[in-house]
Formats: sequence, C-alpha cells, structure tokens
Amino acid sequence: MRSGSWLRVGLGVWVAASVALAGVLLTGSFAGTVDAATGAYTGVANTVMLILAVALLAGFVVYAAVEWAQTRSLHSISSQFGTRTIVLMPIAIAINIVLGQTVASALKIPIYLDSIGTILVGVLAGPIAGMLTGLLANLIWTFVLAGTPLGSPYAWPFAIVAAEIGLLAGIFGRLGFFRSRPNTPMPQLVAGTAVAVLVLAALAYWGILPAYTKGVTFFGDLSAVSPFFQLVALGIAVMLVLAMVGLVVIVLTRRDLGVAFIVVAGASCGVVSALIAAPIAAVFFGGVTGSGTDFMVAAFQAAGSNLHDAVVQQSLISDPIDKTITYVIVFLLLRTLSRRFLARFPQGEQAVGLVEDQG
Amino acid sequence: MLELRGVSYRYPGYATQVLRDLDLTIADGEIVGLVGANEAGKSTLCLVASGLAPASIGGRLTGSLLIDGEPMTGRAPHELAERVVAGFQDPATQRSGVAATVFEEVALGPMNLGLAVAQTVGRTRAALAALGIEALAERHPSRLSGGQSQLVALASLLVMRPRHMVLDEPAARLDPAGTNLVAGAIRALAATGAGLLIAEHRTDLLDGLCGRIVVLDGGCVVLDGPAGEVFADDRIEGFGVEPPARIRLARALAARGLDPALIVLDADATPVRGVASPDPAAAPSAPA
Amino acid sequence: MGLVPVTPGPSLVDAGISPADAALLRRLVPAMPTAWHRLNPLTKATIAAGESIGAFVLGGYLGPLLILALVIVPSAVVARVAGRLLRVSILVSLPIAVSVVLVTVFTRAGPTVLFTIGPFVATLEGADFAGQVLVRLLVLATALGLFGMTTEPRALVFDLERRGVSPRLGFAAAATLETIPAMAERAAAIQAAQRARGLDTEGGIRARLRGVLPLVVPVVLSSLTEVEERSLALEVRAFGRPGHRHLLWTIGDAAWERPVRWGIVIAVIGVGVARLAGAWPHIP
Repeated sequence: MRSGSWLRVGLGVWVAASVALAGVLLTGSFAGTVDAATGAYTGVANTVMLILAVALLAGFVVYAAVEWAQTRSLHSISSQFGTRTIVLMPIAIAINIVLGQTVASALKIPIYLDSIGTILVGVLAGPIAGMLTGLLANLIWTFVLAGTPLGSPYAWPFAIVAAEIGLLAGIFGRLGFFRSRPNTPMPQLVAGTAVAVLVLAALAYWGILPAYTKGVTFFGDLSAVSPFFQLVALGIAVMLVLAMVGLVVIVLTRRDLGVAFIVVAGASCGVVSALIAAPIAAVFFGGVTGSGTDFMVAAFQAAGSNLHDAVVQQSLISDPIDKTITYVIVFLLLRTLSRRFLARFPQGEQAVGLVEDQG
Repeated sequence: MLELRGVSYRYPGYATQVLRDLDLTIADGEIVGLVGANEAGKSTLCLVASGLAPASIGGRLTGSLLIDGEPMTGRAPHELAERVVAGFQDPATQRSGVAATVFEEVALGPMNLGLAVAQTVGRTRAALAALGIEALAERHPSRLSGGQSQLVALASLLVMRPRHMVLDEPAARLDPAGTNLVAGAIRALAATGAGLLIAEHRTDLLDGLCGRIVVLDGGCVVLDGPAGEVFADDRIEGFGVEPPARIRLARALAARGLDPALIVLDADATPVRGVASPDPAAAPSAPA
Repeated sequence: MGLVPVTPGPSLVDAGISPADAALLRRLVPAMPTAWHRLNPLTKATIAAGESIGAFVLGGYLGPLLILALVIVPSAVVARVAGRLLRVSILVSLPIAVSVVLVTVFTRAGPTVLFTIGPFVATLEGADFAGQVLVRLLVLATALGLFGMTTEPRALVFDLERRGVSPRLGFAAAATLETIPAMAERAAAIQAAQRARGLDTEGGIRARLRGVLPLVVPVVLSSLTEVEERSLALEVRAFGRPGHRHLLWTIGDAAWERPVRWGIVIAVIGVGVARLAGAWPHIP
C-alpha cells in the first residue's frame, strides 16, 4: 500500500480505538446511576456492542474523510461499487421495506424480515457494500421517503444496526458461510455439526442466558435471581436445546453441512444485532418499536428488570430467531440464482462456492 | 465502421463458445438485420458488438472489435458509450428510474458524459425531435405506453450521438401500435447516419428496413448479403428463420400455379396492397 | 461552479440556452411556494436532524416542547403545512405511542402508584417517563414530517451530488423512489396469486411460517433478474464514468445557510457532550 493508504488506515484505526475507549469510559461512569430522563444503562456490558459499532463507523468516516482530503475522491471505496452493485442497492432497500411490511402484516408472525436486502447485498457484493446499503437503507427510509406513505421517521437511529448486519453478512459471505455443501461425507458432517452445536451452546451460555440471570452463567449460583427469570432462562435454554437437536437432525438427514454454517452465522448476527439495537431502542424509543415484541419488554420490566435490561432480554429472544430465519431464506435464495447472475457480482461466486468452467 | 474480426466468445464460468470465429462489418449509415433461431447467439452477438461483452459482463473474447479501425479491447463501458450503444427489449428496465420527466430521462446520458448544461439540453432536444416525441418531454417516464417508452429508450440512446447502435429485439414486448412506432423510430435513427444492427426474429419488421441481412446459426454467420437475396433464399428456413410475409405469400401463390408478379408487394412494411386494381391511380399491377 | 440557480436568469441565456429551453428547465424544478420550501434541502435536513437529536439530548419535557413550539410549529406555519403535519405526525406516532404508554406506565418500577387494573400497576414514574418519551417521539415525527412535506427527494439528492457525493450513490438513493412502489405492487400481486393457490395466511404458526418462502422468493427473484439488464442499459449511457456532472437544475445555497447548518451541528454536539459529562443543568 502506498504511504497515503497507510496514513488513512492508521488514522481510521486510531480514531476507532479512541472512540471505543471514550465510549467505554463514559458509560462506565454512569454505572449505578439511573438517568430518569433518557432511560439508563446500568453498566458497560450492555452497551459495549453499540460502542464498538459506533467506533467502527467513526473509524470508517475518518478513513473516508482523510482519503477525500488527500485525493478529493473516494476511489478506494467507490471502486468496490460497480454498476451492478449500485443497481442492486435500491432493489435491496426496496426488498427490506416492502417485504418487512408485507410479511409481517400478511402472515402475522413476529419476524421482521427487514434485512433480507441488506444481507443479500453484503453476500453478493462484499462487506463494505453491505455496510453502506444498510446505512443508506435506513437513512433513505427516513430522509428520502419522508413525505411518502412508506416513510418512517423512526428508522434512522437504527442505521448503525443495519450497517452492522450488512457488514457481517459480507464477511460471512466472503468466508463461505452461505455455501451449500451437499453430499458432505459423513465424518465431516458429524464433526461439523458437533462444532456448530458447540459454538451455539457457547453463544447461548455466555452471550444470551446471562442476560436473564444478572450476568451469572447458567450453571452458576442463581440464588440472587428471581424465580421468574430463572424460569425464563430455563425456557430459553430448553428452546435452544430443541433448536440444536433440530439442527442436527436436519443436517444429518439432508447431508448438507451448509445448514449448520448458516444457522451459526444467523444466530451470531442475531446476538450482535440485538446488543447493538437494544441501547438505541431504550434511549430513543423507551424500549418499544410499535411491534408485537413490545409485550415482552413489558413483561420483563414488570418482573423487575430496568428498561435497558428488559430491552436486551427481549432482543436476545427475537433477534437471533429473526436473523437465523432471514439467513436461511437468503441461503435458500442463493441456491436458486443462476451462476450467470452470480458471476457478475464481486463476491457472488465466492459466496456460493461455484467452480469455474462448468459449461 | 464497426468490425468484428474472428470473434469467439464464451460467458464467464461456461466452457462452451456461444460465438465462433465470427466476422461481421457494419458500415456507417448501414442498417443490418440479424436473424437466426432462438439459441443461435443473436443476443450474445449484440452484447459483443456493443462492447458490453466482455467489458461489462466478463467472459472470454478472442478476436477483436474494431470501431473506425481502433481496437476496443480493454475499454471500459463508459468509454465505448459515445461510439456504440445497445438497446434491449424491455422498455421498463431501460428506464433509469431516477428521472421525473422524459426530458431528464433522455438527458441522463449527456449528463453522465460531463457535458455542459447547454450541450445537454441541445442534444436532448435534438434526440426528442428526431424521434418525434417532443410532446412527451414533460411527461413522467413510467406513465407511457409500451411503444412510447421504447421510443424514450431509443431517444436516450440516440442522445449519446453514437456511431453505431445495436438493438436486440426492440419491438419484442410491444403491441402492434407500439411496433409501428418503433419501426418508424428505427428509420429516424438510420437517417441520423448511425450504423444499425438490429436483431429480430420477426422478419416482417426487418423487411424493407434493412439493406443487409445476416443469418446466424450456432454462433457462426451462415448467410450475409442484401436483404432481398437473403430473404428469398430457400435455406433460411433451415436455420430457423421464417421469411417475411411477402416472400411466403409469393411462394404460396407460385405453389398454386399463380403468377407471384400478379401481386406487387410493397416491401415498405405495409401489407399486400392489392391484386390488379381497376383504378389506375391505385397500386399498379404488373401485366400478366 | 456548475450551479444552475433556481430561477434561471440571463446567465442561462448567455450560456447558449434558448428562452424556451430555459423555461423548460425552470419547469423541471419542483414547486417551492413558500420561503421555507425555498431553503436548501441540506439545510432543511440539518434542521430536522438537529431538532430530533436536540430533543433527545435535552431530555425532559421543556426542551422538546420548546423545540416544537418555537421552531417546528412556526416553520410549519410559514410553510403552510401546519394542519396536515400535525395530523400526519399523530397518525404515524400512534402505534408506537400506544406501545410506549402500555409498556411504560404499567410496568416501569416506581414507588408512587396511581391506580391498578387487575395485575397491572400504573405508576407516576412510569407515566412521567412515558410522557417524556412521547414528547420526544412527537418532535421526531413532526421534524421529519415537515422535512418530508417540503422537500422533493430528488432535490436533496442533486444537492448532495453538487456538494461532491458520487453520482452513483445519488442514483442508488433516488432510484428507491420508483423501485419501492413497483416492488410493492409486485408483492401484492404475488400475494394474491399465492393466496389463490392456497397460501395459508390465517392458519397455525407452522402453516404461516411455511408461507413465508412462497411469498418472499418470487418477489426477490423477479427483482434480482432485472439487475443485469438495468446495469447494461445504464452502462451504455456512460453511467460508470468517473468525474463531475453538470446537473440540469439544483437548489442553491443562500449565504447565511452554511453558518446556520454548522451552528446547529455544533450546538447539538455541544449540548450532548455537556449532558454526558454531567455539566448540563437538569431541565424538567
């Protein structure tokens, strides 16, 4: 890389780290105080994901600003955006908005499906394109669609969550998580499924369940936790075990290890998204989104959690389910796309794992 | 002049060659019709001739595309835009979707070229006038009929002032009224001096429009000659090409022992004008 | 430069554009009946964003209500959209407002009980918190609603392009305006077709979950197949060409608008930092 690039990357990383540190220190200083007006957070742990996301974004903005100052253009970023990616983006944004509304209202099930488009762009065109699509999708939803019936003034604070979803989808796509792996030989199938189950269990044990048990891990000393939350944690643990059993059954019967990969990716994305979105919902919207999941927030708050914890507890149930289902849908969609279509995108073939020259 | 020399092409990720060692020349101001069976490679040839393959699509091209003697290999699509443009079947997908008026839609191309406002406006006016759609200038592009939309698409291409235009089945999605509009528009395009390559399977549309017809089969040029000769050639049906109506009618008459010359068919895309009319002022009939 | 002023004058004629064409260009510019409408789109966006974030940063009741009363409502009156704005904002906020009230009033912990309905206890602290959230949401809805009602989206996109944003990103933003309604129509048609084929929209949870794919996949696939041809059609019109474009019309910037925009940004950031650092006095 030329020296100009080093400077840009270096400055971006430095700013990102500084913002992260500042965020942690600032919110750490709020520990124990409940800010009545804005809805408090009781500690750093609940907002660290958001802080990291903001820090990443700040670093990216600084990188872009420095490049602009150096070269009066954003070539390193815009060169990743060929015509097809640019044409795909409004379609992806439309898929987000239209499907998000249609599915929820037509089928009346509490999944949002409002990130399918963002995830598609991330997988097909790469992490940066996915990140930008997510950002733009929410900003456009608010600022460009403002006067139209589909506009929403409440979408833009969540732009950073959408950006993270696109980024993660791009990274998972690049790493091959969206690939179909049909006819995997049995030993690899068993090994892969075992690893997937272990990863999901670890995610649940350290990432999800402690949110309900005041930070204590599931098999620890739960005496300080109210029976309601012990029951909730137990219920979630049972659901997760059933899901993992179901995953094992599906993978072993379909002999497609790709299913295991996609479920792990979707669940991880769900957990990260929940942790980033929860503080935003808590601070900006009093923890509600106007959708059916608000009753869960009410239930958790009534059972004794403060606002912030209640939102986290709700999100950690609904987001991993929503994102896993969305990831599976995208996984199935990718399989139906012709190779001729996929080959035109920067990451298309890599994401689906196609082999060259199969005339 | 647009030249394809020894061109073979295969799509990215595929091993089969869709075009094989193909030679084709289109002179300035010439209208060439491209016919052939469905999988013969017409659309692929259109993409190669306009430079979109491989510049935009990828894939492997051997041989060369030359415009006015200059090789176009390695040029980005936007560099080719002022030399050769391509039109497609569906007027809806050719619409940019960002313009609120037909004027702005057509002006998109010159704006992308970085032209000054006066030049953009001048070119847009000229393109709209050439195709006779000035009255549509302030209409919303998505609220037009199929034929009108396709005319707007053609104007958007004409405004680039290209030396050559490649049209892939421009009337395929249109009703008869729209088809007539497009046929008239193609004549207007030819009048500007651009070289045209029109891929069509409806030979009636090409009849009377094209000076030359090229027949494609299995990715190779199998016939290339003046329209009258090629259409009258018996072999084209073997290549999946249906001759235009007047030829079929003449053959049907001859098969029944009637003199095809009884009917003078005006090859100007209008149907049979009539058998021996008693009115000498109407279509003349040849002496029996 | 490259600026086409809102009311083309002699400068356009000098540039070689006929009076008829200049009149056409003038007609392309969206209608701007009031002084508020004539503000630069970026200024209006900054004001809307500043009002929204400001309401959150200030917290309490007084801050957001002052913003509403002293900034938003007067602007709406100047723009002659006040009635419609309030009506639409209340409609938009209603679902979320109902949720806020139900969730917060009845379940937020607090010592002062107002009344009980069955197992649900309404607290004063809950009502207070709900009130503050509602006020903030109202500011958000009205500020952005005002922006939406008085700004043509393409004007904003062109203005950003004039300031240096890549025309391709501008295209992506502007294209959503037509893509979304088109896709909504397609989705409705597919939904009707699937229902005719027996798609269960009322049955049990498993039936409905199974109904997701037949709804989602056709909509997505039919949109994705368009990408290729749209891209090709754009590229022959020099879409990918790097460099500056001369737009047919843009909305200019009055001299005072730039300092005002920066002022708003600095003020909001300043108050936010002061709030986080605890230096900002508590306002009820």
